[in-house]
Amino acid sequence: MPLSLFIEDWRGWLAEKAAATVKPSRLISAQPGGELPAMLRRRLDDAGRATCDILRELDPKADAPLVHASRHGDTTHTLAMLESLQRGEPISPTRFSMSVHNAILGVHSIARSHHRPLQALGACGDEFDALIYESHGYLMAGYPSVVAVFSESSLPAAYQGVTEHPGTACVVGMRFTLNQGRAITVSKPGQGTSPTPINVLNWLNGETAFLDGRQRWHLEQE
Amino acid sequence: MTETCNQALELELKRLIIDALELEDITPADIDPSAPLFGEGLGLDSIDALELGLALQKQYGIKLDSEADETRRHFESLAALQALVEARRVN
Repeated sequence: MPLSLFIEDWRGWLAEKAAATVKPSRLISAQPGGELPAMLRRRLDDAGRATCDILRELDPKADAPLVHASRHGDTTHTLAMLESLQRGEPISPTRFSMSVHNAILGVHSIARSHHRPLQALGACGDEFDALIYESHGYLMAGYPSVVAVFSESSLPAAYQGVTEHPGTACVVGMRFTLNQGRAITVSKPGQGTSPTPINVLNWLNGETAFLDGRQRWHLEQE
Repeated sequence: MTETCNQALELELKRLIIDALELEDITPADIDPSAPLFGEGLGLDSIDALELGLALQKQYGIKLDSEADETRRHFESLAALQALVEARRVN
């Protein structure tokens, strides 16, 4: 059965230095988090703050299921905890509490009083495909729209060159529906590459003809 | 002289709270020594209480029992925290 799925709207965020060279339309401010209460904002890095800003813009009434994917999560703070343990020092309770993969969605749900389903994914490079299928599942269950966000934080130097990473902090968010917006279609299995949020932004912006993940994804032009 | 020491410790504790709890929008002048630190006032939460306990242990060698009622009293305000540090600091 062909997948029936549409992108109604989208937003992107790139760290300031990357934003100077990559210019997709629909980018939010390079300095994110202005709408978050300060006592919640302090617990998120820039990619987490941008994720919340994008969720707010794409789900202004806080009534859609939200799916958030990140391949690596907040590696800077996770590494800092590991280094503390290595030195035999206690780890930060704040950082421990924020080290779960659904921490950003948790902060967002508190900030916006969001009570719909929330789901956090890590998929070893298959995040985009996973977001598509999970979002489609919520739509098939009867929700009129779903917002999916894919984010990567900046990578600590210790991990650079050891794992795939887009090279800069970046976030992309999409609002999916079953019948409104630009249609997404599949032509054949993809090349098994792992799209990053920047690849997805370029695809949404019409700069690439398709996006290769587990499937080859096409997007109807505006 | 004592007054100066008290003021220096008060400022030191304000900076400790701001740094340990990553209160990026707060300056030392924003913290009222007699206002509640948790809930109302500064608006800290239960995770902040644990983080602050850890910071006191690292900075002054003060170990607190997170379950004890007296810990709650020590964390009522900056002034209460300062009294605790003056009485129990080991470094």
